[in-house]
Amino acid sequence: MIRHALAEGWLLLRHRGLVSLFLALALAIPIGLAGVTFSVMRWLEPAVGTADRANVVAVLLHPHMGDDQRATWLEGQRREHPEWRLEVVAPEQLARRLGHWFPYLKDLLERDGGAMLPPLVEITTSDPESVAVLERSPAVIAVGPRTPLRSLLGRVSRGLGLALGAASAVLLISAALLAAVWVHLELYRHADEITIMRLVGATESAIRGPFLVATVAPGLVAGGLALLGTTAVLDGLSRLAEVVGLPALTVSPAVLAAQAGAGLVLPLGAAAVTLMRHAAVGEE
Amino acid sequence: MIRLRSVHKEYDGRKVLRDLDLQVDAGEFVFVTGPSGAGKTTLLRLLYAAERPTSGEVWVGGERVDGISRARLPALRRRIGVIFQDFKLLRRKTVLENITFVLRFHGVAPREAHRRAYLVLKRLGLHHRQSALPDALSGGEQQRVAIARALAYQPRLILADEPTGNLDADLAGELLSLLCDINYQGATVVLATHDNGLLESIPARAIVLHGGGINYDGVWPP
Repeated sequence: MIRHALAEGWLLLRHRGLVSLFLALALAIPIGLAGVTFSVMRWLEPAVGTADRANVVAVLLHPHMGDDQRATWLEGQRREHPEWRLEVVAPEQLARRLGHWFPYLKDLLERDGGAMLPPLVEITTSDPESVAVLERSPAVIAVGPRTPLRSLLGRVSRGLGLALGAASAVLLISAALLAAVWVHLELYRHADEITIMRLVGATESAIRGPFLVATVAPGLVAGGLALLGTTAVLDGLSRLAEVVGLPALTVSPAVLAAQAGAGLVLPLGAAAVTLMRHAAVGEE
Repeated sequence: MIRLRSVHKEYDGRKVLRDLDLQVDAGEFVFVTGPSGAGKTTLLRLLYAAERPTSGEVWVGGERVDGISRARLPALRRRIGVIFQDFKLLRRKTVLENITFVLRFHGVAPREAHRRAYLVLKRLGLHHRQSALPDALSGGEQQRVAIARALAYQPRLILADEPTGNLDADLAGELLSLLCDINYQGATVVLATHDNGLLESIPARAIVLHGGGINYDGVWPP
C-alpha cells in the first residue's frame, strides 16, 4: 500500500506541479518567518527584558576587588544613597545578566567562559541618571545603560516580536487552510475515481495515501526552503549586528528542527483532517 | 450466500422494493430480471452495500450487510466482484492498470497483479488493448474491461448489473459463457438483465421483479 500511495501520490504531484510548488512556497514563507522571528526575539531578549526594568542600572565592579572590599564599597553606597537598592548578582546568573546589560562584552564572556567575570551590581532607583556618579568611582569599570531610549528600544522590540509572531501565526494558519483546500479540490477532481475505488474494495487508507504523499512532498520542500531562508536571513542580520559591535544572531538547531517539523506536520494535519471529513460524507 | 429478509427500500417515499424475501445458495447462477424500475439495480446495490434498506435484513456470505460499518465495507466488497452497468473504469488509467490497481487492494504483489491482469484480459480477448485508455475503447470493450476487473481477483460472488447492455449478441453470448464457466468453478453469479434473449439462452434460476416485489422465482423458461 505504501508503494501504491507513493506511485499515485507522485502522479498527483506531476499533474499539479505548479500548484504544489505554490503550496510549498506558501508554507515556507510563514514557517521561515516564524523561525526568524523566534531567533530575533531570542537575540533581542536582553533589550526586551531590560525594558521592564527601566529603573534598574547595572554597575560593573573591578574584577580584582576582594570580597571585603566589595562589601565595604556596597555598604558605603547604601549609606551615601539610601534611595538606591543594591543587589549583587549571584555568580550562577552572572554570565547571562552581563550579556543582558553589556552585550558588547560578548568576547570576554566567550573567551573566559565565566571564569574571570567581573562582579555585577544592579541598582534599583527612581532616578537612574543619579547612578552615573559611580562612573568616577575607581571600583567601577562601567555603568550600564540608563537612558529612556533603552526602554523605548525594548518596547519596540517587544512590539515587533509580537507583530511578527502574529503575522507568522496568521500565515501559518492560512497555509494550513491552503493545504486543506488543495486536498479538497483534488478530492473533488478525483471524486469519480474515489467512488470507484470504494466500490471495488479500497480501504480508506489506500484512498488517502496518495493525497497524503502529495501533500507531504510540498511540506518537505517548504521545510527545506524555510531552513535555508532562516539561515540566510539570520546570517545577514548577524553581519549587520557585528558591524555595530553587537553579538551575532545564532540559529538554534531546535528552531531548525521545529521548522522542518512544521513543514511536515502542518500540511499533513490539514490533509488528514480534510480526508477524514471527506470519508465521513463521501461514501457513494 | 445471499439472504434477504423482509427488505423494504424507499427513495423519498417511493417504494422500490417491498417485503422482499430471497435466498441464493453458494454456487447458484441466478438471473434477476424485470422491467425498468422494477428494482434490479437497487437489489444489487443492497448486496454490495452501496445502499441500505429502509427496513429488513441483508446477508451476504454469512455477514449481515444492511448496517455494515464503514470499516468492514472494503472487506465485504473485496469478496464481491461487481460488473457495473456504466463500467466504472478509471479514465486516467490504462486497461491493464485498471485491473492491476484493484488487484493491489487485494494485496496482490505488483508482478503477480500484472500477470493475472494480462491473463484475464487475454481470456476476454483484450490483451492487445492493454495499454489503451478506457476512452479509446468501444462500449463493448469497456464492458469487457469492467468484467475483467471483476474476475481478476476470483471473487466467490459476482454481481453483474446489465453486463450485456453495450454488447452485441455474439459478445453477450461470450460473456454469458464466461460467467457460466466461473459459476462452474464454484462462484455464485447474480446477473441483472432485462434482455429476454440472454435469459432464455441458458436454463437457470430467474427472479422476476415487478413493482418492487418478486413476481416469479424459478427456473427460466418456466
